[in-house]
Order: sequence, then C-alpha cells, then structure tokens
Amino acid sequence: MYYQEKKTITSIISGLLILTLYVIYGISKYQEVGESLLGDLKFWATAMLVAIGGGIIVIIIIQIVFHIILAIANEVAKEVSKKANCESIKDTYQEFEIMEHEDEMDKLIALKAMRNSFVWVGVGFVSALLSLYMKMPPAIMLNIIFVSFILGSLFEGFSQLYFYRKGVKNG
Amino acid sequence: MAKLVISNNIRKLRFYNNEMTQQELAKKTGVTRQTIVAIENSKYSPTLELAFRITEVFEAKLEEVFSYEVVEDKSKKEDDSK
Repeated sequence: MYYQEKKTITSIISGLLILTLYVIYGISKYQEVGESLLGDLKFWATAMLVAIGGGIIVIIIIQIVFHIILAIANEVAKEVSKKANCESIKDTYQEFEIMEHEDEMDKLIALKAMRNSFVWVGVGFVSALLSLYMKMPPAIMLNIIFVSFILGSLFEGFSQLYFYRKGVKNG
Repeated sequence: MAKLVISNNIRKLRFYNNEMTQQELAKKTGVTRQTIVAIENSKYSPTLELAFRITEVFEAKLEEVFSYEVVEDKSKKEDDSK
C-alpha cells in the first residue's frame, strides 16, 4: 500500500470517528431530553460546532500519529536495508521520502473524488429541503445537512481509494 | 467517436537502462512510484509534460515510449449497421 492510500485511510478513520461520536452524542441526548430537543436549534448548532472543532483536532492528532508511525517504519526499513543490503527495502524507504508531495495523478484523483463527494452533499441538501417540505422539525434538516457533509467526505476518501486501486483516466 | 487505447514500453525501457527501478524513474521524473506503477499498468495516462519527461530520461522518442491503438466503439458500430 502506498503513502497516499494510507493517508486516505487515516482520513476515513477520522471521519468515521467524528460521525460515530456525533451520532452517539445526539441519540443519547435525544433519549435524555425527548422530543423537545428537536425544537432546540441552539443545542444542535452547538453540538455541530463542537463536532467540527473536535473533528479538526482529531484529524490533526491522527495525522501526527500516522506520520510518527510512518517515520519509525521508515527508519527501521533504512536500518534493515543497510544491514541486509537489500534493494527492495531501500526502494520502500526512499518512497516515503518522495511521497510526501502530491503529483499530477494524486491531484486528478483528488479532483474526481471531490466531484463524487459533491454528489452526496447535493443529495443531502435536497433531502434536507424535502424534510422541511414534509413539515419535519428544522433540527432534522440541520442534521441531514451536517451528516451529508461528513458522508460526502467519507465517500471522497473511498472514491480516492477506488481510483488508486482501479486507475484513473484523463477526461 | 473511436476509443484510443494507450500503451507503453516503460518496463522494457527500464530494463534496457541498467535495470532502472520504478523508484529511480519516479525520482528522475518528479512523481511518485505509485504513478509510475499506474502508468506501466496502463491505469493512468500521463500528461504531455510527464510523458516528455519520461522520454527524456530514456533518451527516446515519444513514440518509442508510448503508442496508441484506435479501437472502434462496438455499440456504435452495431447502431450504424442497423
């Protein structure tokens, strides 16, 4: 597995973690307070802001841990290659040194994956409008939009993995 | 419109250039090894810029590294015959 794929997997894990924590918190609060919580838009706005802020911190921490693990693996590969004089391992650690930057294929994959994620966000937005049309509480609409953004970013990650595995064509 | 299938001889050219590794070629062309692997396996068609950089490494002409084949779109052919 290559550097960009590993990086994408850490992003997916971060997204899943944020979504899971938010859903667990939302459901537990709903069970605690009851129906009246659906009318409390301030609560949902605060919960979403905390999820966004906390999410950014979680992503930063996971990325730092990922890079520490990668650096350790890199150093170990270097030492092993020096001792064994093995070319294939040398290739592996040199790969880590170069892969930090994005090249043209990475950029193309990122663009195509982002386009796919916008589909999710679009579907989420229309669903949110439909929920209002069906006279559901505004909190439901807010939650649909928020979750569709997170699902969009997750779908972006999965699309990237798909394109890295199956290949990507220009045009 | 007919489909273009692009293939390449990078693997062969690497072999003839002192068995150059994918990593070495990636370093010389300024891309990741993953991109070189994708190009070799025809999973990614490089931009013109990268294609020329690859030819420069091998000191070869573009058509010696990359080639293409025109494949007729079968579904369109069937439509035309009707």
